Amino acid sequence: MSTGNDNAARTYPFYGNVRPILAEVLHAIDRLLETGEPTTIDLASLPFGPGELEHLEATLGTGELSAKLDALGASRISETAYPGVWWLEHRNAHDEVVGRFLEVTRTPEILSSQDADIVAGRARLNDRIDRHELSREEST
Amino acid sequence: MDLLEFARGPALQWAAYILVAGTIWRLVGILLLKEKPDFSEPRARGGLGAALKVIYTRSFTATPFKKATLYPKMLAYVQHLGLFAVVLLFVPHIVFFEGFLGFGWPGLPNNAIYLLGVAMVVASIALLVRRLTSPVLKLISNFDDYFSWFVSVLPIVTGLIIPLRLGLRYETLLAIHILSVALLMIWLPFGKLGHAFLVFVTRGTTGMVFERRGAKT
Amino acid sequence: MKKSPTVGEILQAKGVSRRGFLKYCATTASILALPPSMIPRIAEAIEQARRPSVIWLSFQECTGCTESLTRSASPTVEGLIFDAISLDYHHTLQAAAGDQAEAARHAAMEENDGGYLVLVDGSIPMGNPGYSTIAGISNVDMLKETAAGAAAVVAIGSCAAFGGIPGADPNPTGAMSVRDLIKDKPVINVPGCPPIPTVMTAVLAQFLTFDTLPELDKHGRPMAFYGTTIHDRCYRRPFYEQGKFAETFDDKGAKAGWCLYKLGCKGPITYNACATAKWNSGTSFPIEAGHPCLGCSEPNFWDKGGFYEPLSTGQFGSGAQLAGAAAAGVALGALAAAAGRRRQAKFTQEG
Repeated sequence: MSTGNDNAARTYPFYGNVRPILAEVLHAIDRLLETGEPTTIDLASLPFGPGELEHLEATLGTGELSAKLDALGASRISETAYPGVWWLEHRNAHDEVVGRFLEVTRTPEILSSQDADIVAGRARLNDRIDRHELSREEST
Repeated sequence: MDLLEFARGPALQWAAYILVAGTIWRLVGILLLKEKPDFSEPRARGGLGAALKVIYTRSFTATPFKKATLYPKMLAYVQHLGLFAVVLLFVPHIVFFEGFLGFGWPGLPNNAIYLLGVAMVVASIALLVRRLTSPVLKLISNFDDYFSWFVSVLPIVTGLIIPLRLGLRYETLLAIHILSVALLMIWLPFGKLGHAFLVFVTRGTTGMVFERRGAKT
Repeated sequence: MKKSPTVGEILQAKGVSRRGFLKYCATTASILALPPSMIPRIAEAIEQARRPSVIWLSFQECTGCTESLTRSASPTVEGLIFDAISLDYHHTLQAAAGDQAEAARHAAMEENDGGYLVLVDGSIPMGNPGYSTIAGISNVDMLKETAAGAAAVVAIGSCAAFGGIPGADPNPTGAMSVRDLIKDKPVINVPGCPPIPTVMTAVLAQFLTFDTLPELDKHGRPMAFYGTTIHDRCYRRPFYEQGKFAETFDDKGAKAGWCLYKLGCKGPITYNACATAKWNSGTSFPIEAGHPCLGCSEPNFWDKGGFYEPLSTGQFGSGAQLAGAAAAGVALGALAAAAGRRRQAKFTQEG
């Protein structure tokens, strides 16, 4: 970050863009409790001043659970201090942030094992049983 | 040239020429008129002092009329002060004036301006309703009254719409706003809005004439 | 037309998991400025999508647009070139030159006739075709020849979209925009000086994902990115509403990060995504760095008055012209008064 930016951050006392997002999160929690409907907020589409994103992250805090996903670069999926509110940060292979989302849900979809992967994994396991492990057992 | 460029450029330019030329035309045309001959013996000199006195005293309603005129007067004050505040204390307007005056002054927060603008429009509508419902006022009103009302309220309305957007683009709304101001500037010298620069001239003249006749002012 | 593999197949062949794919779709939705609820539809579409062939033509430009594109973080330009599009001709980036390069362009045009995308940066000189040529071919000839078989043309940057700086007054080369010259193909304008890298890749991603062209505004710009003004999405907007403005570049207001309207910010009339997409991998954007928006994604931004002149400043002539108007007023007033005096004289016989 340039020195100009640091200056701005130091003298910038205003977190006016954070409040409405917190209000939106609150409504999303209500929706989740009442109808079970999850909400995703794309943080890339919202305006943030210097330090405001960090302020939002600090305000939401960290909760009990944090997961690291390694697919097409690293991703961090962690529950905030407010259960049901998840912070998702996707990075690309160069470790640059390519997406930031707030998900208000019981479990973010991306944490669940996906059917396509389960099928592919089963096939791999099956292969292994057929080809390697079993043949070794037979030989002994 | 898009609409905004036209509004900011030629439209505003010609409106300014017409405003300046028209105002001076009317002032000079009136001030250079020959005084009406008065063959009676003057009871007093009827000088500048008399003019200033009436300019001041006529700023307040004479006691017998105070109650009857309270309602329209309050509205008129809201309308006039609201208009002045919106024109002179909205920061983008101050920047506009600074553009050709070379100096600026502190303004008010936008929300205060929006509030004053709405108050101005509401007061203007109430005054129009009064004009339309009072038989006497209706009788003495002509096109000039209604058109002057329209061109002075229009810029406030078009200005207030800008933050609301109403599905239109900012530059379109801004252009419409500036064009409505241009209309006001063009009409101002020629209709009853001319009171903006004539009000004290006429009041002073009345004062001088009345004192000469010995009337109590 | 040869059948290229679908993006789903490419990712699968690379061993990308479904989770990884979902992540890819979420970030694609984000750069397409689509609501996250669209992610399942995007996933479905991307799986089936085939890489479009892309031909990039550079005319009267400064290479700033290419510089910007190659700094696109999401997806990276390498990722884009290898996964999402097949960049078959770009004379700055490609290794081939001269005849080989031109052969590559012709091969891509033949193989993908009617289905490829043409990306153009730079304006086209119409004053004299010799002002700018590539491989001895004038810009206008190359544009028309290449666009003939294209599915669509994307004008990258303000020069290609509106004429830009080469087209600024007095426009010595007779520079024209792509839209001025290509009338029979859809032309998408992606203006900016340069455009935001993710906006460029997003337009390609949209074409790739939905095989459709984005919804455009009156200047031919995708609504998803040019639908709101900088001012509407600016984090300093609350200061505008509060009437807190920086007056100079080094005063208290400038240091506190107040609104730059008075310093000439063109944010209110500039439609672009800088305030949210930001620059340099999301670091900041001009206003965040303390400089007013120049309005570079608007037509003729170069000729729209001073960059540091506040937006509400009128452009209505000089004091001398107004003095002229005042003099005219005096003359008219004198004439009116003279006429009035004559009328008065008639009534009063007083002379």
